Amino acid sequence: MKIEIKDIKKSFGDKEVLKGVSFEAESGKAFGLLGRNGAGKTTSIRIIMGVFYSDSGSILVDGKPIEREKLRIGYLPEERGLYPKKSISEQLVYFGMLRGLSKKDARLAASEWIDKMNLGEYKDKKLETLSKGNQQKIQLAVTLMCRPELIILDEPFSGLDPVNAKLLKDIIKEMIDEGAAVIFSSHQMNHIEEFCDDIAILNHGTIAISGNIREIKRSYPRNTIEIASDENKKISALVLKKMAGDIEEVSEDEKSGILTVKLRSPDIKNKLIREISDEGLDIDSFMVREPSLSDIFVEYAEGGI
Amino acid sequence: MKNFWKILGFEYLGCIRNKAFIIVTILILVLSLVTTSLPAIITALKFAETEDNDPDAEKPVIFISSDIYSENEIMGELAKYYPGHDIKTGKEDKESVKKNVDKGKYSFAVIYTSPLSYTYVTKNNSLYNADNEIISGATKSLYVQSFMSQNGIDPKKAAEVTNAAVSYDQITTGTDTAKSFIPVYILMCMLFVAIVSYGQLVAQSVVSEKNTRAMELLITCAKPTELMFGKVIGSGLAGLTQLTLILSVTFTSFKTVTTKHLEQKILDFLNFPLSTVLYALLFFILGYFMFAFMVGALASFAGKSEDLSNLTAPVNFIMMAVYMIMIFMSNSDNFISPFMTALSYIPLSSPLAMFMRCTLSDVAAWEICLSVAVQIITVWLTGMLAAAIYKVGVLMYGKPPRLRDIIKLTFAKK
Repeated sequence: MKIEIKDIKKSFGDKEVLKGVSFEAESGKAFGLLGRNGAGKTTSIRIIMGVFYSDSGSILVDGKPIEREKLRIGYLPEERGLYPKKSISEQLVYFGMLRGLSKKDARLAASEWIDKMNLGEYKDKKLETLSKGNQQKIQLAVTLMCRPELIILDEPFSGLDPVNAKLLKDIIKEMIDEGAAVIFSSHQMNHIEEFCDDIAILNHGTIAISGNIREIKRSYPRNTIEIASDENKKISALVLKKMAGDIEEVSEDEKSGILTVKLRSPDIKNKLIREISDEGLDIDSFMVREPSLSDIFVEYAEGGI
Repeated sequence: MKNFWKILGFEYLGCIRNKAFIIVTILILVLSLVTTSLPAIITALKFAETEDNDPDAEKPVIFISSDIYSENEIMGELAKYYPGHDIKTGKEDKESVKKNVDKGKYSFAVIYTSPLSYTYVTKNNSLYNADNEIISGATKSLYVQSFMSQNGIDPKKAAEVTNAAVSYDQITTGTDTAKSFIPVYILMCMLFVAIVSYGQLVAQSVVSEKNTRAMELLITCAKPTELMFGKVIGSGLAGLTQLTLILSVTFTSFKTVTTKHLEQKILDFLNFPLSTVLYALLFFILGYFMFAFMVGALASFAGKSEDLSNLTAPVNFIMMAVYMIMIFMSNSDNFISPFMTALSYIPLSSPLAMFMRCTLSDVAAWEICLSVAVQIITVWLTGMLAAAIYKVGVLMYGKPPRLRDIIKLTFAKK
């Protein structure tokens, strides 16, 4: 299954929230939707979920306009919440049914997920009697119990303790392996890098950059070299002496012992290796420094989260 | 509308399983059973009182000091009022009587000073002491009898003439307002209370779902119309279940217990035709829907429970005003005025106004149909509008918006 969001525009009154947003997610992969608060992530998600209609643009599933009743969608909203005064199994069955399961299937799925989350002893207890961590597990079960084809997770790791974060990761990986398409919206870049192949960074309602993470990283100029060696001082002196015209900057991080050499052009990497090698200096590693996702995010989302 | 029934079922079960709802139902049922059993309880207590009187036990003594009326005359008049007392007559001076009353020998005493005056001696007096009323009445009767005997009039014949009763039949071609006023008044109060309280139940439910953020999920699982209609109808059915239970228990208890212990005159007064109940039911349903949709939609803007009363105040105020007008109109016999006719077609006031009109006066069938049609259309329009407002409101957090903003947001392009 492939879901395509095509040129979506949305205004609330005079405020244009989305100015032509496009991205796509497909089965067996996770897509990361990044952006600062107010960039338009939640509005995009709500349009996909059918809470709002876009002013223009389209949402296609395998090339056809989306039919939400026929699509099993699991949605974890950023603002979490269920019914504190109702029993866990009762609300799991209710939300399962609202997501299209029959009463019988909803009961089975509720029981299965309660066991999966190791909460069997609490199944008839009210939600409010559970710890925060366990309440988050129930929220997750509500999201995933209908075995969704499309999973939309809005800030899924916010407020999760490390144990529950790992549980969530394991389950998401399992779902991706089973062929679900996942759309992630998050500020936490490490999780995005861990799961997603493709990303889009939203900024003021437009896609600032999108594509495969690897390719985005490779698209940056590959002229910054990181060298790990016990002979950093000698390398630094050599570079400054023999390649002064080719170098923009040389610096050493004393803590990590990494020497960073910024070349005027990526084409002279080999010349640098040759000079070091000809001098007989020992190096442990020589690699092109790629920008982290955080660096890219900060650059495209206008400085700071 | 595939999720409508699921939401309706969830809301209905949620309401009737709610602890507060169950407690209120039980309390009202107990209250209703006690009220309807009250005449029976009073009768039973009176019976027990007479049963408890041991014939061998010493009865309290009433002493009548009189040389004006004979013992037989006094006994004949007073014995029926004081069945558990021993009435003694004789001649004693005031001081001796006071001493005996003070010592407790006499429960109380009466010293006749002339045919129409006496001194009443009692140790303690209370607000509820009716001895003087009884003795005054008995003395007057004794005096009349003695006067008639002295003037050769047969007291029995005189009593027949003075107590002659007139009987009459009444034929009412329209509605007998005097007869059905009390039950209609009670039902109108119930109608108002039921509409407002069950409507508030919906509003509370909306606020609670928004506060707990369950709404964030709900709004993505179901359409706002399904959510709004499911919620309002579900809570309404729970309300109807509660009302049916309370009314049937009250009715059964009234028919089996109360009717045996009340006089026919009072029973006639409490009697009302089945059509009155059916009208009450019809106007409850219509009034409830209108009110519940309005307060439910407004409640969707409440950031917290405290905002609820402010947001729903305008609708609550209108309902309260309508109720006050109804009370005023019914008291002043004005329910056949043109103003009342107008109110019976205006949404929100029409359920109470038309109920009063069609149960207390003669209203043409077409008028009732027209009012019901106006209400059904209003219910539908309010429901659709409520769903639209609700969709905008439930995802807005923070300070509730102003009415102008609510209208602007609701009708903005979605």
